[in-house]
Amino acid sequence: MEVIILYGPYLLFSGCVFGFFMAWGIGANDVANAMGTSVGARALTLSQAILVACIFEFAGAYLAGGEVTSTIRKGIIDPELLADSPDLLVFGMMASLLAAGTWLLIASFKGWPVSTTHSIVGAIVGFAAVGISVDAVSWSKVSSIISSWIVSPLMAGIISFLIFRSVQNLILNTEHPFDNAKKYVPVYMFLVGFVISMVTLLKGLKHVGLSLNFQESLIYSILIGVGISLLGSLFLRRVKNTPQVRGDVVFDGVEKVFAVLMVFTACAMAFAHGSNDVANAVGPLAAIANVIQSGGQVAAQSTMPWWILLLGGVGIVSGLAMLGYRVIETVGRNITELTPSRGFAAELAAATTVVLASGTGLPISTTHTLVGAVLGVGLARGLSAIDLSVVGRIIISWVITLPVGAGLSIIFFFVLKGIFS
Amino acid sequence: MRSTGFTDIIKKSPFGPIQAHMEVSKLSTDELIIFLQAAINSNWEKAAQSRATISDLENQADTLKAETRSLLTKSIFLAVPREDILDLIKLADDIPNTVKDISGLMIGRKMEIPEQIASSFILFAKEAAAITDAAAEAVDYIDDLFQFSFGGNAATKMQQLLQKLDSLENKNDQSEITLRSELFTIERDLPPVNVIFLYDIINKIGELSDRAEQVGHRISLIASR
Repeated sequence: MEVIILYGPYLLFSGCVFGFFMAWGIGANDVANAMGTSVGARALTLSQAILVACIFEFAGAYLAGGEVTSTIRKGIIDPELLADSPDLLVFGMMASLLAAGTWLLIASFKGWPVSTTHSIVGAIVGFAAVGISVDAVSWSKVSSIISSWIVSPLMAGIISFLIFRSVQNLILNTEHPFDNAKKYVPVYMFLVGFVISMVTLLKGLKHVGLSLNFQESLIYSILIGVGISLLGSLFLRRVKNTPQVRGDVVFDGVEKVFAVLMVFTACAMAFAHGSNDVANAVGPLAAIANVIQSGGQVAAQSTMPWWILLLGGVGIVSGLAMLGYRVIETVGRNITELTPSRGFAAELAAATTVVLASGTGLPISTTHTLVGAVLGVGLARGLSAIDLSVVGRIIISWVITLPVGAGLSIIFFFVLKGIFS
Repeated sequence: MRSTGFTDIIKKSPFGPIQAHMEVSKLSTDELIIFLQAAINSNWEKAAQSRATISDLENQADTLKAETRSLLTKSIFLAVPREDILDLIKLADDIPNTVKDISGLMIGRKMEIPEQIASSFILFAKEAAAITDAAAEAVDYIDDLFQFSFGGNAATKMQQLLQKLDSLENKNDQSEITLRSELFTIERDLPPVNVIFLYDIINKIGELSDRAEQVGHRISLIASR
């Protein structure tokens, strides 16, 4: 208790620095996977992608990032158990931020496909189980998080498979693909607007002064969906068919229509990413801030300080602006095979899955979800070649990240504890 | 900082090098016609030049075959069965190989084509080259076929091309019969060893058109799945 009162402001400040750095890292590295698809498909230029990402990452973090943040803050470990020793909670959360940050730094230098989410969850479980007690961990919550890591890529894969199949049947595999694309693409645009706003509204926007019930949410979401669809149709009107003549065959220039759609799915993807991944940085920080601001009280019921989501949002955006553009460029250059008609299906499926997880407060990996979605398009024969060995590598790194994150956070935890006591 | 390896999942399409390979096959059968004309005119200097070009093309084809195979590692999941693509490149690679065999055999023996069968002979070879052209055209449409999910205009065009391929092959079979009967009527007057080799060359050119036709059929199999 004395530690909190004595060093409170310093601890909070360093927590903010660590949390900000973590968010910065997510912006610099993670966002690229979400945005690179659109840049690779040439639906957005690099600077447009940065702009979209800044706006929608921030909006996602601020409007829909609360649930996952609260899971990280007080879902994995039961704060009630730490009522007598709030300092341990503070040290633990600091250790988790440090551990995940260190591991991510190592992994990005080595080029390993490591997930921020897995690192932070592993770190929190680690310090709590070893540093405090095995019972401090809410194992039921942890197992539901881990199963969501398996379910989310699967779900994204199934959704993207179905979306791309519908594209094949309604548009590509028809006599007049261009006309059909113009007819059906606004429907997909509606879906983008509807799904994202429905999940966000249902989950609640009380912190921005908006309180809606289910019916109101439904009506507003439909309106937003229709609005987006109309806006999209406006853009589509300017898209002219530029048929490609090959030999004596004329092929409709259908990808241009999908490129317009992909602008919308890119926004959705950035929003979804912001809503889920900002929590990895600000969740632990929120826990620290709560304890310190209440002068050492561990109150599970306390409300989330919203300035923290703001800090996370700013962190992501600055990481993106400072370094992320370079990573986006690399990612975009590497996936030119993903044309807009394929890329949008993957993005829409991944964004839907991630936003759903954000709404239910499950911290999942955006990148893994996107991998699942790309595989779904591949299974629908939308991609000519997919390397399954990469999937194996991702699974291995996911399994390794948990013990490494846990181990590092245990070390940092005892170091911090030793320094302050 | 590197990205988290997500992009590695999407690989380059193996069709690119296959298309380049077919383009080389086409060039090589075209060169064969030039070679045969030179042989008919007994212009062995020009034939030797042609033969060098053919050899060179065969090397290029080998490189492209290797490139295709390197894109088809076991862990690759493809939009079309991996075996079909491996078969396709194997069949396609027979074309420049056979062209090289024919030119090698003819130049080694300085084989004369008897004047009486020269026009039928060159027609037969030109038809074989035309079949290769048609097969290469079909291979060229794979990308469009894939982009439009194996349907639409690309599929129609593919069907047309395959019909064209079949009719070319039928015509070529007829020409082979004509050529053989022409050779048969004069074979008594020629040195027997030369006749044996002439039949062998005719066989090999026939093989060429068979291979090109098989490439076309493999493409139709890939397209129809």
